[in-house]
Amino acid sequence: MKSLYFGTLIIFILLIFTACQQKSDNQASTNLMEGEGIEVVDPWARPGAEGRMSAAYFLISNFKSEDDVLISVETDAAQNAEVHESYEREEGMMSMREVPQLDLPAQSTVRFEQGGLHVMLMQLNRQLSDGDTFELTLTFENNEPVTVEVPVRL
Amino acid sequence: MHLTKLNAGSKILVALIVALSLQSCGPDRLDDYGGESFFLVNQDGQEVTFPDDFEGAPLIVGFIYTNCPDICSFITANVRRIENAGTYPDGTQFALITFDPERDRPDVLKSYAAAFEMDKAPYQFLTGNPEEIERLMKRVSVRKAISSEQETENGDSVYFLSHSDKILLLDSQSRLVFDYGGSMTPVDIVAEDLSQLQ
Repeated sequence: MKSLYFGTLIIFILLIFTACQQKSDNQASTNLMEGEGIEVVDPWARPGAEGRMSAAYFLISNFKSEDDVLISVETDAAQNAEVHESYEREEGMMSMREVPQLDLPAQSTVRFEQGGLHVMLMQLNRQLSDGDTFELTLTFENNEPVTVEVPVRL
Repeated sequence: MHLTKLNAGSKILVALIVALSLQSCGPDRLDDYGGESFFLVNQDGQEVTFPDDFEGAPLIVGFIYTNCPDICSFITANVRRIENAGTYPDGTQFALITFDPERDRPDVLKSYAAAFEMDKAPYQFLTGNPEEIERLMKRVSVRKAISSEQETENGDSVYFLSHSDKILLLDSQSRLVFDYGGSMTPVDIVAEDLSQLQ
């Protein structure tokens, strides 16, 4: 029976380790191979009704040897755009908090993804449907602003 | 090995394994909503009684509010993707019910549905009067609480909710088959469970 206990214990430890590993992978990865300055790739956003909300996602990489900070985001698609993070406040209860400034460590990538970091687009100026695009400008503390075209998809 | 010779901890472990084995094979249901009725209205302003009007076929139902930029759009898209998988019994219905009825009136739900290309059958977006929605959410164990409020550049105030993250699968008799994490559960798992309800 002891071996059964040990087996169960090992499975639980492996599951917890795997979950923790996935969480940290979502936040940042290091040792980037190639690129220059700040790069924003794979942007996309969810559909949204005029006057309501949407969210934008992408990968943002800092290829420089110095740390940087994302200090603001702007778009003409919405009245407000802010960096927010979804998180599980307690078991089964999802919540969201603002991230006023996002650290971008040197030689790292930060992932914006559903259920985690995202650019919250408040009070959309128009309906965003599958296939639409809009521009999003990201401003950094130590780098020139970066503007990307964001496709909307279901 | 005789069960009577095992200590208490071992018996609990054995019972757990047996229960999990039975659950994976049997048609047991987690809950039964058939005994109650909730009077709602859909995105077209038509009265809908939940779950009565959905009985006779399986139902996938998610819970959202339209001022939610991230998690609820994920839940909505997942309901759409479950439908798009196409592996469901004839007549299966797909619904999303708001837990923010004060702001999510039928016209708002209609615009939201249109943005997701879900303003058509077999989808329905449902709201109701706040007391009825509160009664329903309590029954299906969906919780919400105001988490923050902020002013927009034009002076409007917008509040955000902490909320349960949930999609339910009901069978044709309004019995709860599974309760999923709405934004987290892989769509193919839900589609597979739904396809078993032939």
